[in-house]
Amino acid sequence: MTEPRPPEGEGPAPAATSVVIAFRLNGRRVETLAPVRLTAAELLRDQLGLTGTKVSCGIQVCGACTVLVDGAPASSCCLLAVDLDGTEVVTVEGLAQGRELHPVQEAFAAANALQCGYCTPGFVMMTVALLAADPRPDRAAVREWLDGNLCRCTGYAPIETAVILAAERTAP
Amino acid sequence: MGVLPELGLVRSDDLGRVLASVDAEHVPYAGGTELVPAMGLGLRRPAAVVDLKRVEALGRIAVDADAGAVEIGAAVTHRRIAEHPGVRRHLPVLARAAGRVGNARVRSTGTIGGNLCFAEPRSDLACVLIALQATSEVRSGRGARTLAVDELVIGAFETSLSADEILVSVTVPFEPAGMSYWKLQSYERPTLGVAVVVTEDRWEITVGAAVERPVRTVLAAGDSAGLDDFAAGLDIGADLCGPAEYKRSVLREHLRTVLETAP
Ligand SMILES: Cc1cc2nc3c(=O)[nH]c(=O)nc-3n(C[C@H](O)[C@H](O)[C@H](O)COP(=O)(O)OP(=O)(O)OC[C@H]3O[C@@H](n4cnc5c(N)ncnc54)[C@H](O)[C@@H]3O)c2cc1C
Ligand code: FES
Ligand code: FES
Repeated sequence: MTEPRPPEGEGPAPAATSVVIAFRLNGRRVETLAPVRLTAAELLRDQLGLTGTKVSCGIQVCGACTVLVDGAPASSCCLLAVDLDGTEVVTVEGLAQGRELHPVQEAFAAANALQCGYCTPGFVMMTVALLAADPRPDRAAVREWLDGNLCRCTGYAPIETAVILAAERTAP
Repeated sequence: MGVLPELGLVRSDDLGRVLASVDAEHVPYAGGTELVPAMGLGLRRPAAVVDLKRVEALGRIAVDADAGAVEIGAAVTHRRIAEHPGVRRHLPVLARAAGRVGNARVRSTGTIGGNLCFAEPRSDLACVLIALQATSEVRSGRGARTLAVDELVIGAFETSLSADEILVSVTVPFEPAGMSYWKLQSYERPTLGVAVVVTEDRWEITVGAAVERPVRTVLAAGDSAGLDDFAAGLDIGADLCGPAEYKRSVLREHLRTVLETAP
């Protein structure tokens, strides 16, 4: 971090191993010193204490770690925390209003779309992103969108039903 | 704790600065969807990563109606490619392929440049871009050069870039009528990808994913024996998605369907 800076526009830019980043997290401004080696999931869970975001596969195939970055879903297990700089991040903790669950969370409960619940934050975040872009998806669209999320206990039928239910309850 | 070892970051919105920073130890990255897992597994051990996302020129999509081509910046995500009206209009097959890459998270983070420069054989975009004879603009602190995507992606996980070069953009000619792309996929990545352009007198075929890098051939329309020879001669690999002969017979059957039974 203390390497001398070459004049603007010339020579290599210095490499820092920690960077101050600022972003909005569930509506609140966060400013923190993030080691470059930290993943977004590690930052959220270990430094900021938001353990609703789960890590399972670590290679972007299960979706348990899904968060929204500027409204788009991202696998926080493989995203560098420094890449959250300047963004708007929503995690599963940001959905409920006080004690009132988000409609997507309500729908998952109503449809019995969870058992152990480990995959649920990821499915819920993916669903929030889907309904923002496509408020009335049909079952085929739901399946295609969620084909990168794995659930090892509930099975996918109740999850699909929950997404359709959430859409029915929230579509304009 | 932590999946990654100590790592530095170079971040600048100035392309010259970025180019001056890139070398074998300071590697460029955009989404990190390939690089972060590769570093986590110890397959890549750079001292620092150089962020390309803040360089404006790398994030642009420009439709050039006069030239009949779309220029797509290397740091443009699959999602943006799939949603961009100009791409959808002039490159509908590419837009659709980008919209079906991996999963929605990979599409909103991963980029066209990262896809090509990582040169993972199971790539949809490499196959479609080589089918379209797209070109790539490459730059380093030493200068710029333009080369075909076919000359950029040269093998499995192998490109013709030197350590100080970055891909700036890809220029894709408007798609001809009669183009299609089809893939066989049972897991996250394609098992087999086939791009076909049919004209009155020619069959242009590009096969990707099952081979180390996409292979393109041009046959006279109706040359079924040539089609047999082409499919038989491909160096198709076996993996968890199936043995080579399985992929070859799916390929042959697909080509039969789209070419030989075409009205
Ligand atoms: C779960 C999963 C499923 C996938 N499924 C598919 C699929 O179905 N079809 C498909 O085609 N692809 C698929 N992919 C690959 C995906 O397209 C790539 O991971 C993504 O596009 C890489 O972009 P990135 O910006 O994240 O690359 P990064 O990880 O940032 O970079 C990848 C590599 O390219 C280099 N690099 C990046 N940009 C440049 C540049 N401009 N100049 C020079 N070097 C550069 C980096 O140094 C690094 O070595 C999948 C990936 C995953 C993880
Ligand atoms: S833990 Fe990130 S996708 Fe599985
Ligand atoms: S509810 Fe247990 S993994 Fe999905």
